[in-house]
Amino acid sequence: MKEFKVHFKPHNKSVKVPKGTDVLTAAIKAGVVISAACGGDGLCGKCKVSIGRTTVLACQTLVESDLSVEVPKSSIESHEAKKHESEDFTKGVISEREKALELSPIVRKVYVELSEPTQEDNTDDLERILRAVEARIARARISTRLSNIKHLSEHMRDSAYKVTAVISCEEDSVEMLAVEPGDTTGRLYGFAFDIGTTTVAGQLIDLNSGRILGTRIAFNRQSAYGADIITRIIYASNPKGIETLSAAVLANIADIIDDLSDSCRVNLSFIYAAVLAGNMTMMHLLLKIDPSNIRKAPYIPAATRFGPMNARESGVNINQKGAAFFLPGVSTYVGGDIIAGLLACGLPDKPELALLIDIGTNGEIVLGNSEWMMGAAASAGPAFEGSGLTCGMKAVKGAIQKAEIGPDLRTKVETVWQEAPRGICGSGYIDVLCQLLKRRIIQKDGKINRSIKSDRVRNNGVNFEFVLVPKNESAAGKDIVITEDDIENIKRSKGAIYSAIMSLLNKVGKDISDIKKIYIAGGFGNYLNIENSIHIGLLPDIDRAVYEFIGNSSLAGARMVLLSRDLAARAEAVRKNVTYLDLSGESNYMDEYVASLFFPHTDMGRFPSVQS
Amino acid sequence: MALSGLDIYKLLPKTNCKDCGFATCLAFAMALNQKKVSLDKCPHVTAEAKAALESASQPPIKPVTIGTGARSLEMGNETVMYRHEQKFYHPTGIGFLIEDTESDMAVTDAIANINALKFERVGQAISADLVCIKNSSADSAIFLNHVKKILSSTALNLALSVRDPKTASDAVKVCKEKRPLLICEDPGALDAFINIAKGNGLPLALACHDIDEAVRFIDKAKKSGVEDLLINITSGRVSDRIQAYTFIRRMALKKGVRALGYPILAFTASGTPDMELAEAVSYVDKYAALVIVKNRTKEFILPLLVTRQDIYQDPQKPVQVDPKIYEIGKVTADSPVLVTTNFSITYFTVAGEVESSKVPSYILACDAEGMSVLTAWAADKFTAKTISETLTRTGLAEKVKHKKVIIPGYVSVLSGELEDMSGWKVAVGPKEASGIPNYLRNVK
Repeated sequence: MKEFKVHFKPHNKSVKVPKGTDVLTAAIKAGVVISAACGGDGLCGKCKVSIGRTTVLACQTLVESDLSVEVPKSSIESHEAKKHESEDFTKGVISEREKALELSPIVRKVYVELSEPTQEDNTDDLERILRAVEARIARARISTRLSNIKHLSEHMRDSAYKVTAVISCEEDSVEMLAVEPGDTTGRLYGFAFDIGTTTVAGQLIDLNSGRILGTRIAFNRQSAYGADIITRIIYASNPKGIETLSAAVLANIADIIDDLSDSCRVNLSFIYAAVLAGNMTMMHLLLKIDPSNIRKAPYIPAATRFGPMNARESGVNINQKGAAFFLPGVSTYVGGDIIAGLLACGLPDKPELALLIDIGTNGEIVLGNSEWMMGAAASAGPAFEGSGLTCGMKAVKGAIQKAEIGPDLRTKVETVWQEAPRGICGSGYIDVLCQLLKRRIIQKDGKINRSIKSDRVRNNGVNFEFVLVPKNESAAGKDIVITEDDIENIKRSKGAIYSAIMSLLNKVGKDISDIKKIYIAGGFGNYLNIENSIHIGLLPDIDRAVYEFIGNSSLAGARMVLLSRDLAARAEAVRKNVTYLDLSGESNYMDEYVASLFFPHTDMGRFPSVQS
Repeated sequence: MALSGLDIYKLLPKTNCKDCGFATCLAFAMALNQKKVSLDKCPHVTAEAKAALESASQPPIKPVTIGTGARSLEMGNETVMYRHEQKFYHPTGIGFLIEDTESDMAVTDAIANINALKFERVGQAISADLVCIKNSSADSAIFLNHVKKILSSTALNLALSVRDPKTASDAVKVCKEKRPLLICEDPGALDAFINIAKGNGLPLALACHDIDEAVRFIDKAKKSGVEDLLINITSGRVSDRIQAYTFIRRMALKKGVRALGYPILAFTASGTPDMELAEAVSYVDKYAALVIVKNRTKEFILPLLVTRQDIYQDPQKPVQVDPKIYEIGKVTADSPVLVTTNFSITYFTVAGEVESSKVPSYILACDAEGMSVLTAWAADKFTAKTISETLTRTGLAEKVKHKKVIIPGYVSVLSGELEDMSGWKVAVGPKEASGIPNYLRNVK
């Protein structure tokens, strides 16, 4: 078939595609990210591009000649922008636990100097090295793959029987992944990944020191095939659908690995381990496991733990002989990312009752202590990730993350990287809502007060909206507004999370005051105002000292597992001790949910500090 | 006192071995707490824990059965005050009072009437459960005669309401195979009644003046080894009795008062049919396990049975409307067609908005197992294929001239595939039902 060249501006990237390929697919092939929330069905209208003077939808336009495509700013999901933001938390519980961690990476190197064989000492080469290594690490039988034996004799003789064995310990199996000539123990690296529905984050770690060499964050390229997991699961059922989705996220991973290893000058061949944490759907799609039953009652995934496997099988592009470790999950809606979060914050190790809340497209919640844990998922929707709202965006540069509204309804906003405002991110919406409530611009039911006479409050034809940033101050080319529909959307999201917390407590017969610690993780970048979150009724109104915002706990947990064999083994024990509670089967969840569809709640007695 | 799920968990081995069929010991503990599973599913529980759990896992309201076999009436074992907290397990039994002062003829008629009182509603057969024969004549021979007659002419369960223990004993001899309920009308004869109940393994109720008397009755019967008991309060106005029954239920469930943990038997006392119906409905609602009524007419019994059916519906199962075409207003062959699911709340919300739009329209409710639009879509129950099949099955093409359907805005993603599959043109409607009036009036 005839191929044409498609050139993308301003990225300056080109790709050759067969005639009849749509422009969106060509862009994905070229590594150009264009947002398309509907998955390329021509419905969301977000993938607008210019070809010559015509504006078209990339997903609906087929390539029939060489093309030059101009991608407007509005269509670019600025994954470059978020690239250098670090999500390292230097204080707090995760940092403390990490410092206390005894360094014992899941892959290690053992340097051995072996005596050369003689007619009397006639042990074969493999046995010779394995025996020496077994003696050093005091573990049972070590296995190895055929590929390592093929060139073993050559390696050993070339290096005068001074070699480095790369050993992985996963669950009960100890494997020699590779043999390197000479002493290479000083060079051993690994990657930790959090594979989220919207965001993929990766970190390069020096396994000898435990130091983080760099962090990269990118938007999950699967987003081009659907914003939510249901759309993606449907897409996966298309012919080649699952291959496409797997390739998209593996390309994310490959980019992060290439980028970080380049900039940190680490040779790919020394990267022997990758630990990945993600929700169950992400794991299925990445590993090309049929996810179709995840969305059908009774919502049973193919598997909740995967592996052990080597890098080649997983598709992760570290040293292909390296080990890929996927954190196990509990159920369809409580995945390896939550187990990682639990390991990171240490909830399963402490006797005190604590709560972990990971706020993402699904709000996942685990309540418990060292004795028991119960987990649930609330379909919060992507509002707190800035998705599905009129001016919503992710916590990248230009996103409003803090806002103040004066008595005269003038506004002051603070954006990520102090750039001109382009939209509002999740933590920004929480601030804005809180301010709107305090200034009584919106009522407790979320409706805008019609009696306010101001150019900031107006009827947009469908309902009312509040102008946060007028067009002349915004970089979005239009007013940045929050509409009654947006407020309704956020109200449902916050209600889903709050009521999930309450249902979980009710299920085990505990009161919110019994909780000694609440860890908040996830989707807000590095900033979340707890006070304001309580004010809108997202979080329970209790002593603020109980709360700790811990950022991306999934990535932190993956990193800690990478650095600790004990923690890797602990993952399985923790997973087995989490009981999954399906909220849809809990009759009081709906009551709680409906009661929470108010700012902050229909029962003001639950929010005494907001009342005063 | 009942244990919480966590209390139970602490008594289990906490090994998460899965031998019980549950993923974790905590999940098993929660199921035990909700009485969804029995303790013997756990092969590893210690004898000590077993003893503690068994005493704690006794139901707060004793299960009691009248009758035998498929038509037997099960009562008790309820766990909640309000249906929405979980569900009510045993629908209130409905019984008819027949006094032995009524003539032979009248009884024959009454039984024929009672036997004919069977109805079907939303696909379920509903009918009464029991006949209560009252020894109003105080004559032993007449009573025995009535019991024999009724026993031979109906399959319903029996209750015998008697003052004299000798009469009771004679009647029991005739019908004990049916395991009737024995109602003692004279507290002074309680000991004799307890002996009859014990000797024949029958459930026993005592007409008590107040709650204190009921507690003494229960205590006495239990000490004599009779456990299948019903509480009946006879004094006071209707409101007093509702209050007493609510109190009994609350004490049993919330305070773990074992002496009140028994099903409730209620008799209607009101004179007029209207008042009697209101009274009976109140008892169905407020905690009677068995209500015995005087009126046997159709127009009286149907609303009572319907109310019982409504109240005892399992709220965890979505109520569905028939998957078919509904016509709202004076529809013509040009009227628009809106597609939605057959979840009743979804359907009625859409129907209400269509009505208020004043635009006559068809609503096509597709079978989505009673799920709402987005839930059904996510679960693969509301798809281009299922909508397309419903279009064909219902023969909509014969009702309208145009070939156009309006689908909910939240499933706009289905439009292309639905057009291809069905050959109908698909318009995407508003996301929320509240947008329907505006949409129907403005979009052609």
